Amino acid sequence: MVKIIIDDKPVEVEEGTTVFNAAKDAGIAIPHFCYHPAFAPEGTCRMCLVEIEGIPKLELACSTIVREGMKVFTQSDRVVEARRGVLEFLLADHPLDCPICDQAGDCKLQDYYEEYGLYDSHFSEVKEKRGKKSKLGPHLIHDQERCVLCRRCVRFLQEVTKTQEMGVFERGVHAEVNIHEGILIDNNYSGNLAEICPVGAITDTDFRFKTRSWFLGKGTSICPHCSRGCNITIEYNAFFHRFPVPQRVYRIKSLYNPNVNGYWICDLGRYGYRYLDDDRLDEIRVNSGNDKLAWQAVAPLLAEKLNRLRYMNRASRIALVLNTWLTNEELFLVKKIFGDDLKTNKIVFADPPQGKADDLLLTEDRSPNRKGAEAIGFDLNPLDLDVLFEKTDILLIFGSYLKDKANPAELKTHLDKIETTILLSSHKSELDALVDVVLPVPTIAEKSGSLTNCEGVVQTFSPALEDHRNSCPEWQFLVDLGKELGSNFKYYSQFTSTQAILKEMGKEIVFFEMNND
Amino acid sequence: MSPEFSEQTKKKLQEIIARYPQKRAALLPVLHLAQREFGRISFEEEKAVASLLEIKPIEVREVVTFYSMFMREPVGKYHIQVCSNLSCAILGAENLIDYLKEKLGIGLGETTADQKFTLTTVECLGACEYAPCMMINFDYYGNLDQSKIDEILDKLE
Amino acid sequence: MNEKILSKLFDVEQAHKIDVYLEKKGYQAVRKAVEKMTPELILEEVKNASLRGRGGAGFPAGVKWGFVPKGVDKPKYLCVNADEGEPGTFKDKYIMSYNPHLLIEGIIITSYCVGIHKAYIYIRGEYENIALRLEEAIAEAEDKGYLGKNILNSGFDLDLFVHRGAGAYVCGEETALLESLEGKRGNPRLKPPFPASIGLFNCPTVINNVETLSNVPSIILNGADWFCQVGLPKDGGTRIFGVSGMVKKPGVYELPIGSSLKEIIFDHAGGMKEGKELKAVIPGGMSAPVLTADEIDIKMDFDSLVEAKSMLGSAAIIVIDTDTSMIDVLRLVTKFYAHESCGQCTPCRIGNNWIRKTVNRIASGEGRKEDLDNIIRLANNILGKTLCPLGDAAAMPIISIVQKFRQELESYMRN
Repeated sequence: MVKIIIDDKPVEVEEGTTVFNAAKDAGIAIPHFCYHPAFAPEGTCRMCLVEIEGIPKLELACSTIVREGMKVFTQSDRVVEARRGVLEFLLADHPLDCPICDQAGDCKLQDYYEEYGLYDSHFSEVKEKRGKKSKLGPHLIHDQERCVLCRRCVRFLQEVTKTQEMGVFERGVHAEVNIHEGILIDNNYSGNLAEICPVGAITDTDFRFKTRSWFLGKGTSICPHCSRGCNITIEYNAFFHRFPVPQRVYRIKSLYNPNVNGYWICDLGRYGYRYLDDDRLDEIRVNSGNDKLAWQAVAPLLAEKLNRLRYMNRASRIALVLNTWLTNEELFLVKKIFGDDLKTNKIVFADPPQGKADDLLLTEDRSPNRKGAEAIGFDLNPLDLDVLFEKTDILLIFGSYLKDKANPAELKTHLDKIETTILLSSHKSELDALVDVVLPVPTIAEKSGSLTNCEGVVQTFSPALEDHRNSCPEWQFLVDLGKELGSNFKYYSQFTSTQAILKEMGKEIVFFEMNND
Repeated sequence: MSPEFSEQTKKKLQEIIARYPQKRAALLPVLHLAQREFGRISFEEEKAVASLLEIKPIEVREVVTFYSMFMREPVGKYHIQVCSNLSCAILGAENLIDYLKEKLGIGLGETTADQKFTLTTVECLGACEYAPCMMINFDYYGNLDQSKIDEILDKLE
Repeated sequence: MNEKILSKLFDVEQAHKIDVYLEKKGYQAVRKAVEKMTPELILEEVKNASLRGRGGAGFPAGVKWGFVPKGVDKPKYLCVNADEGEPGTFKDKYIMSYNPHLLIEGIIITSYCVGIHKAYIYIRGEYENIALRLEEAIAEAEDKGYLGKNILNSGFDLDLFVHRGAGAYVCGEETALLESLEGKRGNPRLKPPFPASIGLFNCPTVINNVETLSNVPSIILNGADWFCQVGLPKDGGTRIFGVSGMVKKPGVYELPIGSSLKEIIFDHAGGMKEGKELKAVIPGGMSAPVLTADEIDIKMDFDSLVEAKSMLGSAAIIVIDTDTSMIDVLRLVTKFYAHESCGQCTPCRIGNNWIRKTVNRIASGEGRKEDLDNIIRLANNILGKTLCPLGDAAAMPIISIVQKFRQELESYMRN
């Protein structure tokens, strides 16, 4: 360990730490553009210059390694002057685009100017002209005039995707970052470029001109589109429920997790957020008999039917279609209730079709919890419709993927034969008209629980978005059902939260004991 | 149409590449040869060079656009590069540049209609003791004045 | 005494041919080095000779060689900096044209000392004809057994190649030179690590200027003490001073370190051209802060010039007359650095272009009162804040011209 002093604050860090990271540990943020923790220090923006006692020139915090007894000053007059100097240079050729630039509110140039700049402009020359709003890729727009040449984009495409669509051309003030021969950036990670660009030089086409960053609330969650389990931040309009605004969710950003996705997410997950708002089920729908059904009534009604079959020794007539978008807790509850208590064995899985994996984050599985289902002990039996529908009186369907496994006419025929069919789904589908009861449930972004990713990492999450629909999370419904079935009331009563369920899972399943944090 | 190096050049290229432990290091010498052979380095030449050195065409473009001597467009038979730096300017280079523009009827960076002369200015050529000076292709000419320039250009076929 | 170390054979017919060179006692230093000395002894001698770099920075060569780590299982390289881009500088051209074997000898001894088996001469692309001459000389040396395998039966191997640049002043900076040699854009690298440990192809590398290496044979033959006597104790040997501008006899003049600038201009270079009066002198290449006419009573050695707030640099002396406007000088200086900036770091990339635009505006008659102060302020925002010394090389002369010739510039703006 090495002891240094930053701004008169003693700090102890591991050998080999940079001044930048030592300052970060001490809660001192050092302004920077080109530095990004995913890459080796670049040292070209010159914004992170700090004063080190005994060294006549200012030194870069991002690349200077700490030495025992080093005394660093990040707020001295010389340092502030140097920062102001760098800002002045960057803003000299920068276009006055703030009113039309999507980066506004999230822009390092703006932030640092507010903190260190606040000077009067002495620029009386003509600004350099460069390309504006050209297409960089299917998801990206390039405004070269705003570029500060931090080269984060070039480095990302070189070191992370290894596709190298961008390079630095020309020399001196004419140096520019660009694509080559019009070959667009068309890889599954292009969205990260808009995120790492510290200014509005690379922006998201999807987000363009839609809103301002200061209107957005942020919540963290886990991307459900494959089994990598990338950590994400969901940005939504914070006024959504009070004022009429065009959409709720505006964009997804990556959230750093060194054990799962590092600094990145893929475009599939980043731009696949419309499902959070589109085609959602808002209300309980009853297609037979009672016109209105409240949530409180569902569990007792279903429990009664299930118990009847149980005590007639006809539990084999209970069937479930599950999917691996369900959380660990939900799958565990299903196993306990239907596997252990009711002893049903007709449990199958209907999942979205697999896709092609890439060699970075995206997996073949396009659902987040296959590993969880396996760890809980399910054989992920492929769906056999005849087995499923033969001799079944009660069918619980979780999720609407069943609709893709057979044609609608076939499904209708099968489902009509079953006495009680219940669908728990977040989204509208053709199945809604074919079952007896449709129960709306929240998406992963709107509930809590945990998921097990493809490498066996168990990740807990809480709601990132509020759900104002008449929905109930599957885990809550299952707990109520477990209690209503009566045979194990005390056991299910302890599950007042998903954390409590996960704790119990740790006691009963070795895998979850080991992976509990 | 993918440009093909001549057999003789191909041999030279292999000899050059062998000098370095990494193929990429031969890029500048190879580009000089490519420019000599093809007259300029456009996308087609970038691809040929990239494939020879096992790098990407974008990397070739990054290098070509960094260095002043590599041309993306072809130049005339004689590329007149007049030094516009300090010592030469002190001794009247700027007037000579104007004279050349007038004499050839072209501006800086332009080529005469018969493709014979291209005129550009360059920074210090390292011949300040003969200021004002110019380089035509790779030949240096110093102690210039208007009549000397006339003499030199007349001799060029 | 006017010892001629480097230019001794400049006027000898065909001295670039190895037969003539051998006749004039060439390659005796190599023989002495590999047959009678050890690498440690050679290093000692070069250190004691106080041979400072003649490219511009003036770093002691022996100290630099000593930084190369021992026992590292990687090949070592020598890069000869023949980029000669500093405006006003043309000395290395003479050594390479008229005495290339002297340079080759220096390269061989240096490589033998440090344990290097592959060396590259990075020569600026414009010097094509000189590159051809170097290649001829290398072929001759290989032929006669001074290069290649088992040099003079010593068991020491050395391959030497010529590598052409392509028009970029920044590639004279040592780490930019390495990048360029590796086939990339000439962007200077962050230091540390230093080239002595991580240099060419990630291996330990020594980079030295042509003139620096060309002094090594005579140090080996005549000893460190002699070298210091020729020059100064802490600054041994001679310099090839390159004089250009408004003088009668522009050219190269090899003189002891510490020679008088006044004498160089008025005795050796013949003084001002007919009818011209001295206004200013740039003493060490364009990057050196300018001296006014009454500041030229100074000795040309590293320390004296630092004391005078300038630098010896590449010992390129540019003589400016009173008919040359300092606004033009300033315009040409800013044009050069803006054009040659690699563009990597913010202050140099944007600052130099900004200053250039301001100076052009002043030169075209639209200058404003605050312009000169703004130029100084901007130059100070470049000075000491950049990734490589090119920023300083730009800022220092700009500041010196505006400060020392402020009256002239202001009067220009008023008219």
